[in-house]
Amino acid sequence: MRSTSRKRESVKIQPPMTPMIDCIFQLLLFFMLMPSSAGREGYLTTNLPKDTGPNPRPPEILERLKIDLLDEGNEGVGVSIVLNDTQSLGDNFAGLRAALEGYRAQGLQPTHPILISPTMAVRHKFVVRAFDAAVTARFTNIHFAVPR
Amino acid sequence: MARVVRSKGGGDVGFNMTPMIDIIFNLIIFFMLISQFQQLEIEDVVLPEAEAAKILDYSQYRNIVINIIKGKTSSLDAVVKVMGREMNVLEPYTRPDGSQTVGGELTAYLVDAASKGDKANLNVILRADADVPYEDVARVMLAAGAAGIEGWWVTTKIPESEQK
Repeated sequence: MRSTSRKRESVKIQPPMTPMIDCIFQLLLFFMLMPSSAGREGYLTTNLPKDTGPNPRPPEILERLKIDLLDEGNEGVGVSIVLNDTQSLGDNFAGLRAALEGYRAQGLQPTHPILISPTMAVRHKFVVRAFDAAVTARFTNIHFAVPR
Repeated sequence: MARVVRSKGGGDVGFNMTPMIDIIFNLIIFFMLISQFQQLEIEDVVLPEAEAAKILDYSQYRNIVINIIKGKTSSLDAVVKVMGREMNVLEPYTRPDGSQTVGGELTAYLVDAASKGDKANLNVILRADADVPYEDVARVMLAAGAAGIEGWWVTTKIPESEQK
């Protein structure tokens, strides 16, 4: 009887790295893109001026809070806030928010109408900041003045 | 004499799953992103920031996204774009009864969109550049109002501090 001596070859097992890296990159890309596209943008909801449609409605009689936004500087790069024709707040949107929260604390209902009335040259970002201040103060009935 | 039996090498024929998963992931990402952009037809604008802005589900509505893009040379020559098409809002819009109102091409587009389906389900989303003057936004508001649309969403950027 012959004894067979088998040579044991040491085999190096190397998993294919390329597809693994490929998949990892895919997952990385997926999780990087998903939160960015869904999480960065938000919405503020509002109503358009109701008296401009095909069936104009009578204006509301309720006394509303009025936020005037006046353009300052060249092409409206700055802004000046006037609340209820009396309270001048400069460009202090935190002050506007505090003033609106003060009205709420005095018992003004969230549905109390608020009119944001910007001049034509005021930048959109300032209008949104005033809108933001009103929403943050938990007012829900916010309107915008537009010229006829 | 030792007899050598050769195995027939009939091992399992397996599919290589990795490239398949790879392609599936690619397709998922592609269709998710494409459907999102197709539905909204968004333009590249610098949005204003708002802390109170909420992430809302727009998929249940018929959305019309109105982009107001700042002019290249000045903020005064802003462009209104809907579905990639430039819209004129300066000209008057003539109603079927012959009377005229504001909004031009944009009002016509919105009236047409409103007539094609459930008007209550129509959602107008404004994406205006932070630096466009209110004049341009007001024109678009008037155009939408003239088309009988009442509610709309103003798109904003949520500040980093609010995202956490």
